[in-house]
Amino acid sequence: MLAPRFNTRESERARAEPLELSLYSRDAGLANGQAGAVCFPRDASDVAFAVATCKKLGVPFVARGSGTGLAGGATPLDDALVIVTTQMNRVISIDAASRTAWVEPGLLNLDLTRAAQPYGLHYAPDPSSQQACSIGGNVATNAGGPHCLSSGSTTAHVLAVEAVLPNGEVAMLGSTAPDQPGFDLRGIFVGSEGMLGIATKVLVKLVPNPPQIQTMLLDFMSIDEAAATVSAIIAAGIMPAALEMMDSRITAAVEDFVGAGYPRDAAAVLLVEVDGLSGGVDHQASLITEIGRAHGAREVRLARSESERQLLWKGRKSAFGAIARIAPDYYLHDAVVPRSKLVGVLRTIYEIADSHDLTMMNVFHAGDGNLHPLIVFDRRVIGVWERVQAAGTEILERCLAAGGVLSGEHGIGLEKRAMMAQFFSEADLELQARVADALDPHGLANPGKVLPAGFRCGEVGINRTLPEGTWI
Amino acid sequence: MKSGPLGLDPELLNACVSCGLCLPHCPTFRVTGLEIASPRGRIAAMNAVETGMAPLKRPFIDAMAECVQCLGCETACPSGVRFGRLMEDSRATIAHRSGLRALLSRAFGAIAYRRLLPNQHVLHLLSWVLLVAQRMRVMPKRFRSSVPRLTRHRLRRTLNVTVGGNPDVWLFTGCVMDAWLQKTHVATAAALRSTGVRIARPDSRAGCCGALAAHAGRRDIARSLAKSVVAAMPGAAPIIVNSAGCGAALKDYGHLLGDADAERFAARVFDISEWLVAQTASPLATEARTSIVIQDPCHLRNVQRTHDSVRLLLGGAFALLETNDDGMCCGAGGGYAANQPDLSTKITKRKAKALRDAGASTDVAVCSSNPGCTFALEAAGFKVVHPAELYADCIAPDRGEPRNG
Ligand SMILES: Cc1cc2nc3c(=O)[nH]c(=O)nc-3n(C[C@H](O)[C@H](O)[C@H](O)COP(=O)(O)OP(=O)(O)OC[C@H]3O[C@@H](n4cnc5c(N)ncnc54)[C@H](O)[C@@H]3O)c2cc1C
Ligand code: SF4
Ligand code: SF4
Repeated sequence: MLAPRFNTRESERARAEPLELSLYSRDAGLANGQAGAVCFPRDASDVAFAVATCKKLGVPFVARGSGTGLAGGATPLDDALVIVTTQMNRVISIDAASRTAWVEPGLLNLDLTRAAQPYGLHYAPDPSSQQACSIGGNVATNAGGPHCLSSGSTTAHVLAVEAVLPNGEVAMLGSTAPDQPGFDLRGIFVGSEGMLGIATKVLVKLVPNPPQIQTMLLDFMSIDEAAATVSAIIAAGIMPAALEMMDSRITAAVEDFVGAGYPRDAAAVLLVEVDGLSGGVDHQASLITEIGRAHGAREVRLARSESERQLLWKGRKSAFGAIARIAPDYYLHDAVVPRSKLVGVLRTIYEIADSHDLTMMNVFHAGDGNLHPLIVFDRRVIGVWERVQAAGTEILERCLAAGGVLSGEHGIGLEKRAMMAQFFSEADLELQARVADALDPHGLANPGKVLPAGFRCGEVGINRTLPEGTWI
Repeated sequence: MKSGPLGLDPELLNACVSCGLCLPHCPTFRVTGLEIASPRGRIAAMNAVETGMAPLKRPFIDAMAECVQCLGCETACPSGVRFGRLMEDSRATIAHRSGLRALLSRAFGAIAYRRLLPNQHVLHLLSWVLLVAQRMRVMPKRFRSSVPRLTRHRLRRTLNVTVGGNPDVWLFTGCVMDAWLQKTHVATAAALRSTGVRIARPDSRAGCCGALAAHAGRRDIARSLAKSVVAAMPGAAPIIVNSAGCGAALKDYGHLLGDADAERFAARVFDISEWLVAQTASPLATEARTSIVIQDPCHLRNVQRTHDSVRLLLGGAFALLETNDDGMCCGAGGGYAANQPDLSTKITKRKAKALRDAGASTDVAVCSSNPGCTFALEAAGFKVVHPAELYADCIAPDRGEPRNG
């Protein structure tokens, strides 16, 4: 139904060949769907055309940036039209004086920082996938990153969004004014995972590069000591620019890839970065060193050059990818727990994995308690998937019981929607659904995501549950 | 798990976790934005064919042909996916399928890879034909960036090195390098001799390394060329290569031929910069620091992974300027420019911009050590020099060799 419509436009801008379509059936998460057609708009009017066509035909549509999402957010269900933004990837303008830039949604996060470099500026949110993920995807998932500890996640860096709404109209949400009167529609759009429309232009904030940066690597012989150090650093009133933790299995895997000199025999390492004016940086670095030593740090290594620093970060940012060195598949959670409970929660997580006879690894944004417990497995082993799911649910329940939240940054997408009900009250979910219904009355914008089945009115007739065998 | 119609190793295929971290490092993805033109998409497509979800036909075959085989994805992949192996294996299966198209391309391959490239006399003769074609402006468009501007000067044979014997080091001369880049060979010979070694070039048996055949999936041809290259350089002497693509191929003979002799041969192979850096106690240091933009050939950066040796070799004497594109491919890729002219042109344009942004101009040359890249960048208007030429000019400023032409 869709294919012929879109094939009437240049073939470069739409495809429906089965092999190509299959390549858009998933993102970097586990869930598989099925696309009905794919199109590659060049500007907002192309996007509006695609959305209006979907509305006319009653066909769902899904926005897709780079497909690095980990929650199945960009996974198309019900033969949806996948609207890919990779050809809308320009930096439209940079205003160095006001430290802002207008960019297209398909622009890669790291390319934005590269474009800002000549002005001594950068784009602060730096997801570990920053070299590959798009600004549009970042906005839609409200992405975080190691350096969001001090500067806040994507929503703190987005001033305005031009979006094609589910009815096909183009709207401007937010503005250049710091404090806009009226409802903060921009705020609702950020993190909406493609369910309130498709971003076609984004006004982002840029920040000056800090005058001095110090990156430190602390290694520990027990995970408890590392976790306790994290809590102590924050309790001491220090706000590092980034505070990351990796356990021994992750550390060894990334060391195989980058060769940055990460200690393979440590039970856990902390990667800490402080920045600012030179006096303050040195002072903070020595405080952190003291706290680390007091909690049993075996070694505290200070990066001595920019290249050493880059290499350490490359290691941390390759963590998810490097996991295939251990097993071919991974299942990942993204819960946030209060930092004060870090030690206990971490211990329980490993115990849960043990009890299901699974391999658990942890790499996470320790500073804000954003855990990424990863279960690695081989899907070809019979029965393993059921155990992975069971352990995953238990881990999440434990995190929520400790006062945590479901997702720190990866979004809910398809993979975690069923768990939303455990975290939000019925009234909460209904309110969210009403916002979505107001903007998308026919339920065509990325349906079947985020909100658990049964809350949206447009849902009727749409396959609400994952089809058999969707996961693997 | 068994492998399917492509005969790929399932463990190699399974190593991809679909994270997408390789996407920005893939030249064809960068210029198209298409998943099917990305490493992740190509691996998923291979998977689809292996599991019977997609036929071994177009568009799969096109997707494999569109890959430059630059292996930027391999360097970027934290999972250690061996993309090069997967692609060569897929292409080998594609090259040997039945049908008219495959038959024609096999016939073409047999002539180009077996008869033309390895045979200096035929290649030399053809060069003159091409020279005339260039003068008469009848050069087919798709070959314009893979053949340099030929002049009588360029085709003059000026390399004066003993053939065969029992040298201290071998200088591997190859096919296209020997025909069209004699000045680089002359400079390489001078650089080698400056370290006090006796050098020789292999006889005509080592006419071509077989890289182009291997990349096209013609392993049968590549193997027979490789065997004859191995036979032409006996002994234990190091083998010095000044073409990044040939060096990568020679270093892979162990895998290609799969025997212990070939492994031992491969261990003797060094890129010229790699070898010079290891020999020379005092790196260059001069007063006048000419600026030069470094271009890393993919086969040096992503396959041999010795691109830093160029910087170590030249850093003392030149102000090295770097591009801000993670060493992205230039789009030349052996036969790629001729096989995929549209994509190749787009990729080269992107590279040209990165080089200009880094400072390359009519005054500031680009330093590259691969013939394919050199020709493509020359066609894009850059002045291109080989690291060995820069090095030789420093140690013997008046060696009287023509630099350009
Ligand atoms: C190795 C690795 C590390 C990661 N590290 C982090 C991390 O540190 N922090 C973090 O937050 N995430 C991380 N992620 C997850 C992922 O990179 C982010 O969620 C990212 O924001 C997704 O961007 P994308 O362009 O790939 O979007 P996609 O995966 O293509 O899409 C994600 C969601 O955004 C929607 N979307 C995309 N473009 C638009 C648009 N223009 N308008 C409206 N909706 C749109 C899609 O419909 C989908 O719901 C990581 C992923 C990987 C593979
Ligand atoms: S090839 Fe490597 S980097 Fe690319 S998607 Fe697969 S695992 Fe990730
Ligand atoms: S080899 Fe180069 S062109 Fe081919 S998929 Fe990898 S990065 Fe892309």
